[in-house]
Amino acid sequence: MAVNSELRTFKNAAWLGWQMEANWTDPFLFAIYSVVKPLAGTLILVFMYLVITHGETETMFFSYMYVGNAMYMFVADVLFGVTWVIHDDREHYMTLKQVYIAPIKFETYIFGRAAIKIAITSFGVLLTLLFGVFVLGVDIDLAAVNWPLLVVALILGLATLAIMGLALGGVTFLTAKHAMGINEGVAGIFYVLSGVIFPITILPGWAQSISKFLPVTYWMEGVRRGLEPGVITALGSTTGLQGFSDLQLLLVLVVTAVAFLFISLGIFRYADKVARRKGKIDWTSAY
Amino acid sequence: MEPAVETESLTRVFNPKKKKEGKSVTALDSVDLRIERGELFGLLGPNGAGKTTLLKILSTLLLPTSGKAYVAGFDVAKDFQEVRKRINMVSGGEISGYGLLTVRENLWMFTQFYGMKSAVAFKQIDSMLELFGMADKKNEKVRTLSTGMRQKMNVIRGFVTDPDILFLDEPTLGLDVNASRVIRDYIVEWVEKRPDKTVLLTTHYMAEADQLCDRIAIIDDGKILACDEPDTLKKLVRTSTMLKIDVTLLNNKSVLGNIPGVEKFTYTDDPASNLTSLKFVLQDESAVSDIVSEIVHSGAKILALRKTEPTLEDVFIKMVGKGFE
Amino acid sequence: MTETWLLRNMRAVRGRAYPRIIGSTREPSWVFFDVVLPLLTVSAYAYIYKFMKAPEEFVGFVILGGAMTAFWLNILWSMASQLYWEKEIGNLSLYLMAPISRMSILAGMAVGGLFETTLRATSTLVIGIVVFGIALSLSSPVMLIVVFVVTMISLYGMGMMFASLYLLFGREAYHMSNLMTEPIYLASGFYFPVRTLGFWAAAGSSIIPITLGLDALRQLFYPASVAEYGFLPIGTETLILAVLCVVFIMLSKLSLDYMEKLGKTSGRLTLRWQ
Repeated sequence: MAVNSELRTFKNAAWLGWQMEANWTDPFLFAIYSVVKPLAGTLILVFMYLVITHGETETMFFSYMYVGNAMYMFVADVLFGVTWVIHDDREHYMTLKQVYIAPIKFETYIFGRAAIKIAITSFGVLLTLLFGVFVLGVDIDLAAVNWPLLVVALILGLATLAIMGLALGGVTFLTAKHAMGINEGVAGIFYVLSGVIFPITILPGWAQSISKFLPVTYWMEGVRRGLEPGVITALGSTTGLQGFSDLQLLLVLVVTAVAFLFISLGIFRYADKVARRKGKIDWTSAY
Repeated sequence: MEPAVETESLTRVFNPKKKKEGKSVTALDSVDLRIERGELFGLLGPNGAGKTTLLKILSTLLLPTSGKAYVAGFDVAKDFQEVRKRINMVSGGEISGYGLLTVRENLWMFTQFYGMKSAVAFKQIDSMLELFGMADKKNEKVRTLSTGMRQKMNVIRGFVTDPDILFLDEPTLGLDVNASRVIRDYIVEWVEKRPDKTVLLTTHYMAEADQLCDRIAIIDDGKILACDEPDTLKKLVRTSTMLKIDVTLLNNKSVLGNIPGVEKFTYTDDPASNLTSLKFVLQDESAVSDIVSEIVHSGAKILALRKTEPTLEDVFIKMVGKGFE
Repeated sequence: MTETWLLRNMRAVRGRAYPRIIGSTREPSWVFFDVVLPLLTVSAYAYIYKFMKAPEEFVGFVILGGAMTAFWLNILWSMASQLYWEKEIGNLSLYLMAPISRMSILAGMAVGGLFETTLRATSTLVIGIVVFGIALSLSSPVMLIVVFVVTMISLYGMGMMFASLYLLFGREAYHMSNLMTEPIYLASGFYFPVRTLGFWAAAGSSIIPITLGLDALRQLFYPASVAEYGFLPIGTETLILAVLCVVFIMLSKLSLDYMEKLGKTSGRLTLRWQ
């Protein structure tokens, strides 16, 4: 019974998330939007690279950077998506309180909304990777892909992101409309410190120490090893995580996912309690 | 002087963006209305009758599909800037404003859009907050206000700019008795003290319309079904008045049925409690005094007297064919 | 336009700016987000240029671009899209009913947000310079002010034009703002010299005032890089920006009037949850 209820909440939240993301326009325009947005973000980096290398993209580093940037869309969109749900529902549509007092687990509702974000972003990521491979010569050889590693790393990483999103969602309960700053900030920290577009070895020593505590760092490495093992081998010790075997990498991801589950739930529940005490569940802070 | 509001064959049709979203809706259908200056005019109608659509056109937020509408003599479609200088609007259940501003700040902000000098605005605001019993809330943030307080603040926002014509769209919606009474009393006082000011009020509450309005229009399905003073509208339903009097046991009752103006007379005796209940259907209300005199003359004592008249609800049901949903 | 009209609209600007200014003092958490966090994206791009051993001025380009994103985001999200939220809250109908120019409301939003925006831009610039050890040499302070002012006026004029879309559309316009965030970073060369896009692409992008404004600022701070990385001479860019000021202010007035009329005709002007 309880499981059915959770599944139903999850499913309905995902459905709502899809409506919010997609029903503002007709399917054709939505498709264009879904293509242009991820590509434009990626092309900024591509042009930055082209300026310096004078047009050369078929290099190991370019593939490293490109894949990392494509995968990073999950980080930004999931973290943004979860904090946005709370902000949007509370401040703009003023429906948060109705969902909140319903006999459902609010965390499940959040996960449902995050799930649809992941699904939509997957399309953008896939498109970006295809563009990279066929137009820019990014080195991804399907025959060489380590599918088990890729799939497991992907699932663990996405789960961890959704869980971290929950903690951020809790913090959003307590902050004013600058909620977007929170997701921008946390996503930005990962962007700089997790080896998304450059190896962590380029960072100062103290920053590298922080990088090694961030789950996204291991996730990036795991996904790259799965998707472009040749690139990672070629870059060797540059990535900074060469000392970890595939299994160790996955183990780190599992441990961090579990650790973040407890941390995030703790943060969320604490923030929830404080928000209820201070009457912030249904406040508005727009100006 | 031109009327406060005048419409000529005013029509508004809403077409859906896409076919699957449904058919066209005619929200207003050739509405002809004239509201004189200084009137407190009521607009009664069920949900979806077209009241808010009419208000939106008059407040320059919506253009008519055909026909004309004039506010203070200005065409709402062409001279909307002139119209805006002379109007304001308050809706029921409004959530406008900014939660993190105080009540006073929020009200001041809106006065600035009407070009009021800050000193004048604050004086008006403070005076109205006092009148509405909200002086102690003036420095509270808007998001801490209860529904009733918030709506009072909204009403103050409407009046504080001293508009020539004020549109009130269900201003007491969802409010408790006290809050509603404060608002109603203020509306009446405002119009009485300012003969050049006009209020157009839409409401669901019959008693409110009956109590406040000089004239009422009943609207349904975009059409004005009737427009007149409340008493005249009630006469459309029934010309008779019902009178019920409880007296101590009365012996010679038949004479009461012969009093001029009494259309029908029935009675019930209850010897156990020494009571007689008398019921009259009166054609002429002046018969009441004759009836009372006769009862007193016969030696009985009047214990209770109730007069039942047709209500606006009766008028509405007769006109619209259904009650308010 | 009488003195009364002018006074009324100036008071309207003041009135709408007020919640923004007060909001920033009553909810001070924005200071952390707006000062520290934008540096993260800037740092990532700066580090990638360092990794690729790009010429030193590229890190400076990134920091300048990062600082200017504050203004672009202010236009998109705190002015244009804000009308969408005002519509949802119910304030928009009250603004539209008031006897003031719509541009006054938008100007009020812009003025009110200027403090936060300027702080964000300045902190990104200063901290970026300190952290990455950038050396900037300003060739002409007067020209810097002129370029900055014409860029801002034309940019905010363009923002008012975008805002007019929200009078008719709902979430479509919101998603368009979303769509325009990163493509504009790309098209306007926020993080690389716009000249790299090719002459005609860069020329096309120049319709967005920040493209030429940023390019001119980079030329002023890195005079030695003008020949290799500048798009057009600073004088030409400044002149174009001045023309864009006039064009966008006029277009925004026309656009706001037209969109408002369309919105009133279709009944979508105050329609929520579109």
